[in-house]
Amino acid sequence: MSAFLARNRLIVLAYAGMVVLLLVTALFSPGFLSVSNMRSTVVLAAFVGIVALGQTFVIIGGGIDLSVPWVLNSAAIIMALLCGGQDLPLVWVMPLLLAGGAFIGLINGVGVAQFGVPPIIMTLATNVILQGLILVLTGGSPTPSAPALIQFLSVGRIGGFPVIALIWLALTLVATLLLSKAAFGRHLYALGTSATVAEFSGVPTARTTILTYVISGLTAAFAGMLLTGYSGQAYLGMGDAYLFTSIAAVAIGGASILGGSGHYLGTVAGAMVLTILTGLLPALNLSSGALLIVYGAVILLTVSIGSETFAGLGGRLRRKES
Amino acid sequence: MDLVTVKGLSKRYGGIVALSEATFSARAGEVHALLGENGAGKSTFIQILSGAVKHDGGSILVDGTDYRPANPDAAQALGIAAVFQELSLIPDLSVEQNIWFRHEPRTLLRTVNRGEMRRKTLALLEKYDFPALRPDQELRRLTLAERQIVEIAKGLAKDPRILILDEATSALPAREAEWLLKLTRQLAAEGRLVIFISHRMAEVRAIADRLTIFRNGSTVAAHEANAVSDNEIVTQMIGRHLDRLYPERVATATDCIALRVKNFSSGSRLSQVDFALREGEVLGVGGLQGHGQRELFQALFGASKASGSIELWGKPTLINNPRQALTGKDGIALVPEDRRGQGLLLTKSVRENLTLSVIKRFTENGLLSRQKEAALVKEMVDFLRIKAGTSEQLAGTLSGGNQQKVIFGKMLLTQARVLLLYDPTRGVDVGTKGEIFQLMRDLAAKGYAILFHSSDMPELVHVADRVMVMRNGGIAAALEGDHISEEGILRAAMLETRVA
Repeated sequence: MSAFLARNRLIVLAYAGMVVLLLVTALFSPGFLSVSNMRSTVVLAAFVGIVALGQTFVIIGGGIDLSVPWVLNSAAIIMALLCGGQDLPLVWVMPLLLAGGAFIGLINGVGVAQFGVPPIIMTLATNVILQGLILVLTGGSPTPSAPALIQFLSVGRIGGFPVIALIWLALTLVATLLLSKAAFGRHLYALGTSATVAEFSGVPTARTTILTYVISGLTAAFAGMLLTGYSGQAYLGMGDAYLFTSIAAVAIGGASILGGSGHYLGTVAGAMVLTILTGLLPALNLSSGALLIVYGAVILLTVSIGSETFAGLGGRLRRKES
Repeated sequence: MDLVTVKGLSKRYGGIVALSEATFSARAGEVHALLGENGAGKSTFIQILSGAVKHDGGSILVDGTDYRPANPDAAQALGIAAVFQELSLIPDLSVEQNIWFRHEPRTLLRTVNRGEMRRKTLALLEKYDFPALRPDQELRRLTLAERQIVEIAKGLAKDPRILILDEATSALPAREAEWLLKLTRQLAAEGRLVIFISHRMAEVRAIADRLTIFRNGSTVAAHEANAVSDNEIVTQMIGRHLDRLYPERVATATDCIALRVKNFSSGSRLSQVDFALREGEVLGVGGLQGHGQRELFQALFGASKASGSIELWGKPTLINNPRQALTGKDGIALVPEDRRGQGLLLTKSVRENLTLSVIKRFTENGLLSRQKEAALVKEMVDFLRIKAGTSEQLAGTLSGGNQQKVIFGKMLLTQARVLLLYDPTRGVDVGTKGEIFQLMRDLAAKGYAILFHSSDMPELVHVADRVMVMRNGGIAAALEGDHISEEGILRAAMLETRVA
C-alpha cells in the first residue's frame, strides 16, 4: 500500500487537494456540500473529465491535443443540425459523429506519428480548420435545440444519480482498464517516457500514438453532444473553455506534461478541482476574471510540484551513477 | 610536493555512504588512474573534485590550500576541469560553440568574437592533434565517439592544471582511444595532473604513472603503476580473486545457419554486406569506428532502412522495424549502443523495463496478469543475477552493469535466438563484464547465435569465435582461429589489401 502511495504520490495529492478545496468552499458557502449542489458540481466536472480522458492518453504518450475545442463544437453543432430537435435521428447521428471525432483524431495521429508534424502544430491546425468549416456550414446562424434524449443523458437522473455521472464512471473504468490492465497502457507509458527506447523495445509506437489521438477525438465529440444536451442547444465557441480545462485537469491530476506518467484517476480529481474552484469563487464574491487568474496559478503550482519531484528523481539517478 | 592531497573524505546520500575516509594524493606532471568497480566511489570522488558535489567530511588540499569549490565554475577557476561520461554538450550548437560555451571570447561590445573563437579552436585542435573535428560541425551530426572528443576539447579549453577524465575512452574506438592515451602523456609532460578513470586494464597499464584503487567508498591502495601486477590490482578492486575475465572459448557452433545476410546495404555507410552467422556461434564485428558497424546492427534490427536479403533460420524475412525483428522465436534482438537513450526507460521500474517487449506473454483475454509477469521478471532477475532492491526499483537508479543486465533480460525474454550485441560492456565494471562474457558463451552453448561488436579490441579477440573486420561499409576480412589477434584486426581494418 505504501509503495502504491509512493508511486502515485501526485495522484494522491490531487485527491487531497480536492478534499481540502471542498472543505474550504463549504466554509465560505455553507450550502456547498448539499446533495443537490454536489450533484451539479459532479455533472459539470463530468464534461471536463470526459474531454480530459482523451487528453490524458495523448499527454501520457508525450503529445498534446489542441483540437478538442472545435472537435467538441463541431460534434455539437452538426448533431443539432442533423437531428433538428428529434430523438430518432440520434440512432445514426451519434455513431456518425463519434466516428467523425475519431477520424479527426486519426488525422492528428497520422500527422504526428507518420509525418512527424509536432503535435502542437498538427492539432492547432485541425482545430482552426474545423472552426472554419463550421463557420462556413452554419453561416453563424443558431441551430435547432437539442433532442430530448441527449438532454436526458446530460441532465437526467437514474435512481438519484445524474446519468452523466454514471457515464463518466463507466468511462473512468474503461480508461483505468486500458492504462493499468492492457498492453496498450504499457506501450503508452513507454512511448511517453522515451519514444526511442519504446521503438527499440518493439513497442508499436506509431499505432499507439495514433490511437491516443483517436481516443481524444472520440471523447471530445462525445462531450460535445452531451454538452449540447446540457445547454439545450449548440452554439459557436462552446468548446473553447475545454482546451485549457482538459489540459489543466490532466496536469493537476499528476501527469507529467512531458509524457510518460500520470493516470486517468488523477485527471478525475483534476476535473473535480477545477469545477469546485468555479463554485468557490462566486462564494468569495470574485468575478469570472478572477477564476481565470486562479486557474492559471493552480496550473503553475501543480506543474511546478510535479517538476520538482522530477528534478528530485533526476538527482537521485545521477547520484547512483557513481 | 603533492599537488592534491585528500584525507578522510566522506560523502553520504541519505542513508547511503558513497565515500568514507577516502584518501588520495597525486603530483603535478603525472597520469594518475582511479580504479574500482561501479559503485566503488570513484565517480563521487571526482564529482567532489570537480565541484559538482560537496563533501561532508575530510579535507582536500590543492597546492597546500584548503579546497572546497562551491560549484564547477569555481573549480574551473582554480584550474580543475572534468570530462564526464555523461555528455554535457548541446546538440544544436556547433563544435566550437560547445567547446567555448559560457567562456566565449568577446569583442569590445561583449558580443561573441567569432573570428577569435575560430582561431582559438583551431589552435587548440592542432596543439593536441585532435582527430578530424571541424569547428563548425553541428554537434547533433556527430557520433557518440566524436562527441566524446568534443567533450575532451571543452575540458582542455579551460587550460586546467588538473584534468579529470571519467571513462573518456569507453566511447572511443581503438584509434581515437590511442590518441587520447597519447594526449594524456602530453598533458602530463606539460606539467598538468591527469586523473583518469578507466575500466580497461591495458590502458591503465599504458599510461598511468600511479594508481589509486577504490572499493566500497574507501581507498584500498595506491601504487606506483610499474610496481603492481594486473592480478593484484583486480584482486584489490573486487576484494576477491576473479578467476579469469574471459571465459574459456568452447566451440559450440553447429552447421545450421541462424542468420544469413546477402547484399545488405543501408544508407551511405553500409554497402553490399554478405555473411552467415551460425547457431551456437559468437561472431565478432570489428574494425575502426565509423566503418559501418553501427549501421549494420541497426539495419539488421530494423531500426534503419536497408536493402538486400535477410534469412533467419533458413527463412527469408522482412524486417522493417524493431517490432518485426523481435517477433517470435525466430526473431532477432538488439542490445543497443546507447544504454540510456535506446535501451532503458530510466524512470520506470526494473519490472516494466524487463517485460516491455513481451507484454503478449502475460496477457490473458486482453488483460495483463501480474502473476505471470512477476514470474517472467523473477526468471530473468535470477538468471542474470540482477542486483536490485526489488523489481519495482527504478532502472535509472541501478549501477551500469545491472542496467545492462536489465536490457539483456528484456531481449532474452523475447525468445529471439539471434542476438545483436553492440558494445555490451561499455562502461560496465570488470566483474559484470566477466559475467556478460560468460553469459554470451552460455547462450551460444544453448544454440543462440550472437553477433558481437566491441570497441575494445581484446574483447573481440578473446570472446568471439570468428571476427569480421569492417572497412568502408563492407567486410574487409573474416578472421578465424589463430588469425584472430589485435594485430590481425587492425591490419584488415587499415590496409587496402584483403587479409585472409
